[in-house]
Amino acid sequence: MAGFLQQIVVGLGAGAIYASLALALVLIYRFTGIVNFAQGELAMFSAYVAWQFMAVGVPFWLALVLALAVSFVGGMLIERVIIRPVEGAPELTVVIVTVGLFIFVNAAAGWIWSFLIKDFPNPFPSGAIEAGGLTVGFSTLGVFVVVGVVMGLLYLLFQHTKIGLGMRAVSANPDSARLVGIRVGWTLALGWGLAATVGAVSGVLVAPLLFLEPNMMGGVLIYAFAAATLGGFDSPIGAVVGGLIVGVAETLAGAYVSAVGPDLKVGVPLVIILGVLLLRPQGLFGRAVVERA
Amino acid sequence: MNESPVSTGESTATVSSGSAAGAVPRARAGVARWRWAVAGLLLLAAVYAPFQLVPFHVFQLTMVLVYALALLGLNLLVGHAGQISLGHGAFFAVGAYATAIPLARWDVPHLVTLPIAAGVAFLLGLALGLPAMRLRGLYLALVTLAIAIFLVPLLKRFEEVTGGSMGLTLPKPAPPAWTGLAEDQWLYFLALAVALVAFGLAAGLLRSRVGRALHAIRDNEAAAEVMGVRLSYYKTLAFAWSALFAGAAGCVYTWVIGFVSPDSFVVTLSITLLAGIVVGGLGSQAGPLFGALFVMFVPSISQDVNKAAPGVIFGLLIIAVMYVAPTGLAGLAGRAADSLKKTLRKG
Amino acid sequence: MNELVVSELHAGYGGAQVLHGVSFTVGEGEIGAILGPNGAGKTTLLRALSGMVKGRGSVRLDGVELLGSSPDTLARRGVAHVPEGRGTFMPLTVEENLRLGAYVRRSGVDADLDRIYGYFPALKPRLKQAAGSLSGGEQQMLALGRALMLRPRLLLLDEPSLGLAPLVTRELFRIVRAINEQERTTVVVVEQNAHLALGIAQQAHVLETGRIVLSGTAARIRADEQVAQSYLGYRV
Repeated sequence: MAGFLQQIVVGLGAGAIYASLALALVLIYRFTGIVNFAQGELAMFSAYVAWQFMAVGVPFWLALVLALAVSFVGGMLIERVIIRPVEGAPELTVVIVTVGLFIFVNAAAGWIWSFLIKDFPNPFPSGAIEAGGLTVGFSTLGVFVVVGVVMGLLYLLFQHTKIGLGMRAVSANPDSARLVGIRVGWTLALGWGLAATVGAVSGVLVAPLLFLEPNMMGGVLIYAFAAATLGGFDSPIGAVVGGLIVGVAETLAGAYVSAVGPDLKVGVPLVIILGVLLLRPQGLFGRAVVERA
Repeated sequence: MNESPVSTGESTATVSSGSAAGAVPRARAGVARWRWAVAGLLLLAAVYAPFQLVPFHVFQLTMVLVYALALLGLNLLVGHAGQISLGHGAFFAVGAYATAIPLARWDVPHLVTLPIAAGVAFLLGLALGLPAMRLRGLYLALVTLAIAIFLVPLLKRFEEVTGGSMGLTLPKPAPPAWTGLAEDQWLYFLALAVALVAFGLAAGLLRSRVGRALHAIRDNEAAAEVMGVRLSYYKTLAFAWSALFAGAAGCVYTWVIGFVSPDSFVVTLSITLLAGIVVGGLGSQAGPLFGALFVMFVPSISQDVNKAAPGVIFGLLIIAVMYVAPTGLAGLAGRAADSLKKTLRKG
Repeated sequence: MNELVVSELHAGYGGAQVLHGVSFTVGEGEIGAILGPNGAGKTTLLRALSGMVKGRGSVRLDGVELLGSSPDTLARRGVAHVPEGRGTFMPLTVEENLRLGAYVRRSGVDADLDRIYGYFPALKPRLKQAAGSLSGGEQQMLALGRALMLRPRLLLLDEPSLGLAPLVTRELFRIVRAINEQERTTVVVVEQNAHLALGIAQQAHVLETGRIVLSGTAARIRADEQVAQSYLGYRV
């Protein structure tokens, strides 16, 4: 039993990371209706930016803040420069553009920092808390705290600031938002900047657990997609709950289902995506969308 | 959300024009003749080339044909049906293994593996397409991506059949003595034959009712449904056919390389294929060929600059193509040919 | 002086021209009704006035050219447009919808909320409710309230009666009239229900296939039943 609970703790730790990337995906989807296939690569790039700051001697937390700031500006720029020209284009076109961005960012990171793996410092102490036969590492706790803080900040932003209200208005009804005087273009860019920042957090959380390398986020991305699909692509809460569920499901399947085992765990997101799409396409928390012509 | 199906105001009036509906017949005949001439010349060059090139270049051209086959399938799905797959490498891999396993286990003749590979990929496409095609394009991209990622560990897991990470080494088809061809030339002609048949099949398919239905779906899914096109049926069919071509490509690939391993079919392959068809030209008949040349030669040329150079070029080109030339290289080539013809006629 | 002067306005979508040189004037603090059959270009006219579609010609409010500015810029200049379909932010609460109306303003928002509840007491108990859960009539009131939160100099109303029960519609027009009288806001209202629109407007203009075919005081147009009938296609 303790072993089972321990697996759940491990799963929640992984899930929190999936949740943070899923949150970034959901942010962009809500604002622009775009599923950003490059989200994971942007997060990877942000982790490299943080690494670069540390490599020139900036302490971890300051490097993190700087990397988040760079990511925010970078996200806004990407929206203005790369996404804007295909705004309103068919979904296929937009998806292909984000795939192009995926390939480009991945290769650009390899060009700048090479494809050799790099060590990324873990900001959290290495010890663990033990209670009732459960061991919870400080780094797992740290991940929880960071993801919790990000969620809390997003909640405050969206529910209690004028900018947040404007952003929700844009995602609810862009035309009407324009009519009340909201600069929709800038708001969309802001959404991308915000998503890139949230994604950067997940990149920085992942980097110490895996190694920092250009393909680091490829695996995480598919889990984040599963999380967002499960939670509902337009629901931030859903992204977080979905992320946690996916993390736990993956860990349990890897530990207890012998046919799955550690090597086939990556089939879990596939099963979850397919299952959700067939049974409840809007996800757990999403609004059912009626297709428009 | 606030748009009612029956528009009451004048605000929603937009003009949409049928794509190729109003073309002048005589001009069309001219274009057709011109096309046949180009195709004939190309074919002549294709038959002549292996006798003039060193084996390595013949091998490269053979791989171009392999990629062209896979892109032909992807073009059917993305270019003609407007559905996106980020996992076509998976069907390529399935075709490769459906070729390698019978070859390795039962030593069947090479030609027998082609229908096996194509058939297995087709059935798999059908089986996956049934649930996946009920989904909007976006989700199909997710599902196919997840499949492509999942396939690699799956292949490694069933080691006793697939050879695991070590892969399987296989005999290549030997050229019959009467041909007097070297191995690389024989492989080239096999690939060429398969590619010709496949391009013919695809062209026939697109001219049939299926092709018209697919175009209707791509141009306006809701309208196509209202007109009575059975969406899920045709989308699934397109998916299965496109899997079939990718499977055939995997088969020829295995003949040519004589080796399969899971790490040859990582998700990068799928993404490279998508890049290839986008740059080559979505929905154009020559698109797969241009895309294949691109996928084959851009990395081998640019890799000398930097290992990451092909990725940077692919990524930027995909985005650029979506902005300025959604019909890709094939579209650009077509436009260039048109303006050339005009200049010639004037002169 | 918030006089609206529209002259030689051409507008349309892509290649399709909808308005072919529309000219009319609405005096400061007056209500101008735009009447006409379906497809005449009424909605396009309003969309051109609020910057949602591009137009050629001239649209001046208090002598300042509006044409060529984006909708959000025009909102900042005091143009409030209640669009076709009401433009409700469905998932947001009623209060958030109203606050969004004052997005471009900084002060006095809370006081204005109270003013809106004065006009629409029905909204008050529903403040925290999702706007999408309101009835059609309530949503129309919300849309009007949202527009008022801008403290508009020019209020554009697109078919406020659409889809509403006659009683609700009458109440709504009464409120529009009251607002216009109390706040001296210049109003352009597009309506198919000519009877109602003429009841509150000073001026009326009949639009047909993108041209103004008849202009006059509301009283005159209302009186001239035959003219109205031939142009409007229905009984006034």
